[in-house]
Amino acid sequence: MGVRVYWPPEENKLSWQYKFLLPALLVLLSIVAFPTFFLFYVSFHEWVLFKRGMPFIGFENFSRVLTSSEFLQSLKVSVMYTFSTTTLTFILGLGLALILNEQLKGRGIMRTLIALPLVIPPVVAGFAWKFALNREVGVIGAFILPAMGFMKSLLADPSLALSSIILADIWSKTSLMFLILLAGLQAVSPDLYEAARIDGASSWQLFSHITFPLIKPAIIIALIIRFIDAFNVFDAIFVMTSGGPGTATQTFPLLGWKIGFLYFHLGQAATLAIIMLIMTIGVSIFLIRRIT
Amino acid sequence: MYGQKYSNLKKLVLYAIVFTYLVFVLFPLIWLVQSSFKSMYQALKIPPALIWRPTFEAYQKALGGGMLKAFLNSAIVSLSNVVLVLVLGVSAGYALANLKTKASQNIGFWILTVRMAPAFGIIVPLYIILRSFRLVDTIFAVMVAHLTINLPLAIWLLKSYFEEIPSELAEAAIVDGATRTQILLYVLVPVAAPMIVAVSALVFLLSWNEFLFAFVLTSEAARTVPVLVASLAGTMRFDWPLMCALSTLALIPAFVLVVYLQRYIVRGLTFGAVK
Repeated sequence: MGVRVYWPPEENKLSWQYKFLLPALLVLLSIVAFPTFFLFYVSFHEWVLFKRGMPFIGFENFSRVLTSSEFLQSLKVSVMYTFSTTTLTFILGLGLALILNEQLKGRGIMRTLIALPLVIPPVVAGFAWKFALNREVGVIGAFILPAMGFMKSLLADPSLALSSIILADIWSKTSLMFLILLAGLQAVSPDLYEAARIDGASSWQLFSHITFPLIKPAIIIALIIRFIDAFNVFDAIFVMTSGGPGTATQTFPLLGWKIGFLYFHLGQAATLAIIMLIMTIGVSIFLIRRIT
Repeated sequence: MYGQKYSNLKKLVLYAIVFTYLVFVLFPLIWLVQSSFKSMYQALKIPPALIWRPTFEAYQKALGGGMLKAFLNSAIVSLSNVVLVLVLGVSAGYALANLKTKASQNIGFWILTVRMAPAFGIIVPLYIILRSFRLVDTIFAVMVAHLTINLPLAIWLLKSYFEEIPSELAEAAIVDGATRTQILLYVLVPVAAPMIVAVSALVFLLSWNEFLFAFVLTSEAARTVPVLVASLAGTMRFDWPLMCALSTLALIPAFVLVVYLQRYIVRGLTFGAVK
């Protein structure tokens, strides 16, 4: 609209954007991009802390990590953990979002309380559950459950520990599912339901023909983000079980921490991180293709 | 369903479901907080007493001695992240919002993929690099590590917010002879204030709550609150009231910020995919 006529002559049309972008870009290049390349470099070397020399060994780290028995165990635990928490938080979050999308009294405060676990430090969430489930002093593990005739220790029993950390994850992360799906539901126009109801549609038909197709994008985002988060959970599991008893709750991030910062085998830890990244991208693409 | 008039019974069922869920959410937290006001003897008592004389022993222990340092470290790391993210992120977000070239889209996409990458993939190389500079167990190391999560997040959120501001605002200021810096500081920042405050709150909280990076990068001098809580929870001699008191103190920022953040946190944690 002739605005350009007034542009100061010294201002180049594009240069200011790059000047504004440069500081942040330099920081990101040095603390994110460079470490990313370095990660790949490390993964091709036998890189052990406190050991001299770090020879190039090609794909040796990959074959060592992929064929180790701990990798297979962690794969099993990670798949079970990620699949159950993603599915269960999705069902619970969708149910709560549908309910609190209705005209209920006090829904503002109920939404805030449901959102609360999301902002709580995961370490504290893990500790709160570890404390509550403890077989000696915990209000659930030592008082409520024994009163109901259940005498086992939830976190020390290999067959129950995984369920316990899944429970804590549901507690922490249903909030995120709930908030994403609620945002999706709120964007659906109520007029659509009015019209369908006049035509005599049932509640289920309203959900499957109007709500579900319209909130599908929100569902995909919620599932992908939840999957990525669950796949990478470290803090709460570390506080609750540290991956034990034995390797019963040792998901990939816990295995990676153990290889890298307990055995100081940084080359193999880097390799595991790359394998995790490939899996993350693969499953995300699968989810996008499958649902859309 | 769907805005229809309910029968009272149906409403009752819905309330009952939500109420049950809220008991599940609040119970562990209430238990944690109330145990922090117990003595060791009271905390270990089974069945637990519902009425007891509250004591502040645990808080005195938590705030005295070396543990206060962890809170100080956490506060410094979180606040410095907020400042750095705003200084670098506001101008970068504004620039990206005004760049419609292929290169800028690539930068944008690259920032987004950081969200997908396992935290693990960043910390291994970062640890090696920071260690070679002898920076392990310094506040600076934790700050840098947190910046790898917070800066991309802030840039992306601010970019999407600046894109929503009508371009007429900036154009009018250009006509008046304002420079780009003046436009950003005096015209756009005030308009984007709600988002800038939300980004600050989100960055503060993510940094305050973060564990893995701080855990790997610190041992004693620079450890943050989550690292302290985790290290106490991992020892064999459990001082339950003390750990409950530390956890309760660690919860304060979350309680303060949850009401405000509720509106923005979805946008933040989905990298702006859901508004």
